[in-house]
Amino acid sequence: MAVISERVIPTAKTTTQAPTLRQMVSERDRLTRETGHYCGVTDLSLRDADPIRYERFYNKLHAAVLAARESARFVAASPGSREMGECLWGITTPEGDTLAVSMGFLSHTAIFPVAIRYMADNDYDVNDGIEDGDVYAVSDGKTGGVPHPGDFYSFTSICHEGEVVGWAVGINHLMENGAPVAGSWATFSVDTFMDGLVCPPMRTGRKLRQESWWKAIWERRTRASTMNILDDKMRLAGCAMINDAAHQLLAEFGADYYKRAIREVIEESRRMIVDNMRALMVPGTYNGCAFRLVKYEGLQNVWSHANKNTLIHVRASVEPNENGLMLDTEGSSRWGYHSYNATPGGADAAVFLGMINSFAHNTKVTAGIELAVQRHYAPGSIYNPDYEFTSNANLWAQTVALNSIGFNAVSRATFSRGYLEEAFTVDGNWGAFQGAGTTADGTSYGFTNFEWLGGTGRGAWCYKDGEPLVWAAWSQIATIGDAEEFEACVPPLFYLGRKLLPGYFGYGKYRGGPGNSAVHWCVEPGKHVALTRPNGGLSCTTSVGLGMSGGYPGPGSFMISARGTNLPDLIAEGETPRDARELLAQVDSGQLRVENLEIWKTDCPELALHDHDLFVDAAGSSGGWGDPLDRNPGLVIKDLNDGVAPDYDFVSRMHGVVAAQNPAGEWVLDVGATTEKRAALRKARLDDSLPAAEWWQQERAKVLAKQVVPEVHEMYSQSLSFAKFDGEFRRFWQLPTDFSFSKE
Amino acid sequence: MSDKSATATDGRQFILAFDAGGTMTDAILVKPDGSFTVGKSISRREDEPRSYRESVTDAASNLGLTAEEVHARCGADIYCGTGMLNTVLTGNGRKVGLMVTRGFEDITVMEGGLSYLGQSQNETLHQQLHRHTRPLVDPKNVFGISERLGGGCYQGNIHLPPGAALIPVNEKQVVKAVNAMVDRGCEVIGILFLFSFVDARHEHQAKAIAERVLRERGVSLPVVCSADVAPVSKENNRLKSLLFQCFAAELVRDSLMSVETQAKAYGYQGRLLTLLSYGGAVNMEYERLYETMISGPIGGLIGAQFIGEKLGIPNIVTADMGGTSFDVGLIVENRLAITKSADIAGHRLALQMVELDSVGSGAGSVVWVDEYKRLHVGPDSAGAKVGVCLNFDRLTVTDINVVMGYVDPDYFLGGQVKLDRDKAMAALEEAVAKPLGLNVYEAGAGVLDIVNTQMNDLLRTMIAAKGYDTHDFTLLYYGGAGPVHMYGYAEGIEFADVITLPWAAGFSAFGAACAEYMHRYSRGLRTLIPNGLGEAEQTSIAQQIRSAWEGLEADARMEMQHEGVDPDKVTFRYGVAARYIGQLESFDTSLDSGEMNGPADLQRLIDAFEAMYTKVYPDGARFPDAGYSLTAVHLEAIAPKPQPVLAEHPLSPPEPDATAFVGSREVYHAGQWTTFNVYEMANLKAGNVVQGPAIIRDPMTTVVVPPGRTMSFDKYRVLHYK
Repeated sequence: MAVISERVIPTAKTTTQAPTLRQMVSERDRLTRETGHYCGVTDLSLRDADPIRYERFYNKLHAAVLAARESARFVAASPGSREMGECLWGITTPEGDTLAVSMGFLSHTAIFPVAIRYMADNDYDVNDGIEDGDVYAVSDGKTGGVPHPGDFYSFTSICHEGEVVGWAVGINHLMENGAPVAGSWATFSVDTFMDGLVCPPMRTGRKLRQESWWKAIWERRTRASTMNILDDKMRLAGCAMINDAAHQLLAEFGADYYKRAIREVIEESRRMIVDNMRALMVPGTYNGCAFRLVKYEGLQNVWSHANKNTLIHVRASVEPNENGLMLDTEGSSRWGYHSYNATPGGADAAVFLGMINSFAHNTKVTAGIELAVQRHYAPGSIYNPDYEFTSNANLWAQTVALNSIGFNAVSRATFSRGYLEEAFTVDGNWGAFQGAGTTADGTSYGFTNFEWLGGTGRGAWCYKDGEPLVWAAWSQIATIGDAEEFEACVPPLFYLGRKLLPGYFGYGKYRGGPGNSAVHWCVEPGKHVALTRPNGGLSCTTSVGLGMSGGYPGPGSFMISARGTNLPDLIAEGETPRDARELLAQVDSGQLRVENLEIWKTDCPELALHDHDLFVDAAGSSGGWGDPLDRNPGLVIKDLNDGVAPDYDFVSRMHGVVAAQNPAGEWVLDVGATTEKRAALRKARLDDSLPAAEWWQQERAKVLAKQVVPEVHEMYSQSLSFAKFDGEFRRFWQLPTDFSFSKE
Repeated sequence: MSDKSATATDGRQFILAFDAGGTMTDAILVKPDGSFTVGKSISRREDEPRSYRESVTDAASNLGLTAEEVHARCGADIYCGTGMLNTVLTGNGRKVGLMVTRGFEDITVMEGGLSYLGQSQNETLHQQLHRHTRPLVDPKNVFGISERLGGGCYQGNIHLPPGAALIPVNEKQVVKAVNAMVDRGCEVIGILFLFSFVDARHEHQAKAIAERVLRERGVSLPVVCSADVAPVSKENNRLKSLLFQCFAAELVRDSLMSVETQAKAYGYQGRLLTLLSYGGAVNMEYERLYETMISGPIGGLIGAQFIGEKLGIPNIVTADMGGTSFDVGLIVENRLAITKSADIAGHRLALQMVELDSVGSGAGSVVWVDEYKRLHVGPDSAGAKVGVCLNFDRLTVTDINVVMGYVDPDYFLGGQVKLDRDKAMAALEEAVAKPLGLNVYEAGAGVLDIVNTQMNDLLRTMIAAKGYDTHDFTLLYYGGAGPVHMYGYAEGIEFADVITLPWAAGFSAFGAACAEYMHRYSRGLRTLIPNGLGEAEQTSIAQQIRSAWEGLEADARMEMQHEGVDPDKVTFRYGVAARYIGQLESFDTSLDSGEMNGPADLQRLIDAFEAMYTKVYPDGARFPDAGYSLTAVHLEAIAPKPQPVLAEHPLSPPEPDATAFVGSREVYHAGQWTTFNVYEMANLKAGNVVQGPAIIRDPMTTVVVPPGRTMSFDKYRVLHYK
């Protein structure tokens, strides 16, 4: 049997005759800018001359990346890569523009050109050259565009006759990346030097094999070396397959055809995406905002400049235009000494989550989407810092809200156009936990449990309820993996529950899909085990801050640490807590006794666990659509009886429904009393309301008096430092010209 | 062997094989010389014995025999069907009650989040439209039971061992749950506890309690444990296997037993067999009957394995082109390639299944052009309506084959059905030629090129993705449309050989007749083989493996004896699931023998793993420094069963007899009209060589031999394409 790597790797070191990377990138930029078409491709000449050959070419390209993932992911050590969507393979142009991608977290395609531009600007191909099958490691946001160092990239070069003709790229989310805070999202980082293993584009191997020294990096600079080495081999295995396929294509179609076709497929998909945008959206400006609390005060005594709380303002507007649409984040907060900063590449990775879903699902998934979605990340903002050493270890904790704003803009547009089957409330309320430990025999390990990153509830539609665990904005392939696999990665933690959390969704005429909750039980931790949690949706006011048509947004994620428990008593009774709700009820009833019970709606410092301690999390909720008082009372009763929303007092107040339990314990609707209660609640709403003008006057007075807590004060100060938001804010509140939110 | 396993030469020389599809039930009656005749009837799901009667009577009549005469001379009767799959798809299965580890009560609703199985990448990207598959159990019939066993950890023996008792089974909760399930009218009880694949004792304890409660209440319900149905890691997949068994398999078993009763009433003396999704045939008492869920394509692969063994071809890639899809499978070193998690009807099971891949390109696939002038083929299909040339309202691939001259409109199904070429021509003009600005024949050629390219790519990908070289494989093509398109999908790929058989159209059913009587067993392990182990430790590990195999051998002998097989006639094949320490995925590794006594045998196992691994992945993906981990032992138990015989024929001269020559017709091929000679398949003999351009016609298919190519008949009348 032949082995795939037996193909002789040509020693096609880039030659002086071939254009340099710098020249290719510059020419791509110029032609695209001047013509409005990718690389100046105004005619799809290959497609029009022979559409069948053209499709055949692309089929082969696409098949190569799909096959790479389906084969290579089994080399992996981490459940997130093998089972879930936390990996991706792609093939790009020489400039890093995506031609085809596998399944997985494919919004990362937007990042590929960032690393290639850095390599071009720094003459990697000139000194000391790039050969076919060279392997580059990338995990830096500034130079590689990587969202956070927990996402690790392998670029391998594809060279033909002395010229770089493309790149095979493999990515996955590591189980542990060696930061002071163990795991793969280094919460509490102050700057990039605390982000763990951060690699600007650097060659780590040749001829599709890693250099020997590279293994030592994983072993000495991360806490899960075996898993990381195997994941590294996984990325490389897929890249080797793609490299092989690219050379077969070059041989079959010829280099001239290859070089032209790769331009045409991107331009073709750009055009289709622009058409899709025109077909689905209504012209106008779609604004959205969200907020994320960074609670560092009291936890950063060593780095005093970071020892403060910050409320991050996530703000974006979406405006369709003749070339697609513009997404503008101006007015969002400035960067800070925390781990939540993004880079333009990282922001792109979030923005394109929804854009690919919405506009590229019926096209070839290429860099065309990046041309159709224009982005403005204001310099100095959290999405484009003007400080080169910002930490971006935990950007996802706020950028998923940025994606949700863009995605909800599309949802509102499709609702307005009448595409009701496309219109729903979008959230991205993910969760995970991470940490490290040392067993009694001295074995150290690091870990990340991705499960609630794998899938969340989907928000309500404009015509029906959302569903549980069917949504993963970041990968399109919702998969939470298996408890049996995650449990095996963290020796002393054992599941006592992994289920849907009753009542954990946004209410409305139609409710969101319920979120998830798990209970982890610590047994014989040995010398040490401790964890943290980096969630998106954690400590947010809400994950997006806006409901849809009067519905409530999804509730934020949270976690509970219950340390020092009488769990053995509950084991004896067979009544161990199964989710967050049940645990709190057992505490309230006295059945579960806890010496140290903490409910964390903000990021927690490292939590050390001991025997019979419990760690409980909840994430993945989703928002509702429409006024809760308009909900069909029959659906309220059904949710009561099915245990989906079991708290009668709560839903009675929420939906204005009156019911009673029959002898069998089933809830039965009282139609008359419900009608009366709803009428009374509506009247109470009116009684509590103010005329809009009066409300505006009251609120304006607060603005003028700057009656806000310090975190909000600083947030506004930062946002108002950007002209666009400053103008909008002043116009809305009709502020005097000398008004300033800056510190006096 | 008892008379139940009589061979094809001891008087009962016929083999019957059935494919009970959604519309038709096909009967293949294989004669001792390997030739076969076909019988058909309408499939009646509510009365499968009737469909069986009608189809076997039809087949028997072709030989001038009665159903009774055929059954009296029948050595093996194999019945494949879609009844179980239809039960799942329609939701008409048994009412299931389920006990799960406390805290996992929502697992059937959550189903791991999987809501896109079987979708293309484009469909998957449109995440807005993902839906969960309808649960196979009412969530109100799911009960949590307090219990927990540990499963061990990947890092090795650094914490509690696999199977460590953490929380005992709460008997009161089991009793309460069983009573509630009975009160709620449940018809079968399933049990799924975490890590039961490592240690089944908690599941078995709960089962014993449940059976006691049922006895006390005077109720008889099956109680099924996940560890007995699918003892492998990943609770979500194991759950689906358990639910398929509870929901569908137990129900379908009754229907299959009624078919067997019908066969016996006709005088058949053996057991009615059906096919496993990973190859092999079992009878209807097989405990894990859900493993027979997929049987159609399996037949073809088993047939390919049979042919490979007869002809001495170890590596085969199969290409089955039917009406709706093009299915590709692999036989590597005479073994079926197996995948460990099968996606069926929106469910992902912990089921061994032969590795198949498909594209929606079949003879009935609809051809269309979208608003971007993109040409599409499939996935919609005309099915039995063939195309515009018969009675479908959209252009299909068959329409184009008729227009281009590949398919004779007057000889479809041997001339029983007349096709309308003019209507096909008009449809091609309207649907493809005009939108793309091509003339009708260029358009037709283009469509066929796309279809052939899609299939060509799948063939390449299936082989290349596994790291194999096409030069090491023989392409075996079949299905009604397979021989029509072979010239296209095999183009440009250098295979060791390209072959088919005169009965290509019915090859899958023929393959069903070739299936061996085989059961596959697995048992989970958590055994580490770090580098630098001493001789005593290696010997201990070897003996653990040997002991695990011996346990499976005992299970196999007992199970097969229960099915009527002489346990002394059972033989075994051995394997393990292995990986580098730290990896999540284990890789099935076959071994030459079951010898496993010491370090030398253990090294043989490691060498086999490395050899298998480097066939799939580049050298840079190896990680021997990490050491090795064994996660399961496998055993295949094989019992003797009658097999069809591939008849040998005396060789005739290369030039076909005049009786084989039918005439000639014009075919638009490779951009021009070309005169193709037409031959009758039945009159071509072993030794004949047909020179292209030629068409070999058969009532069930058409073999296209392009200009410059030849088709040679060997002594078995296997057709070789050069």
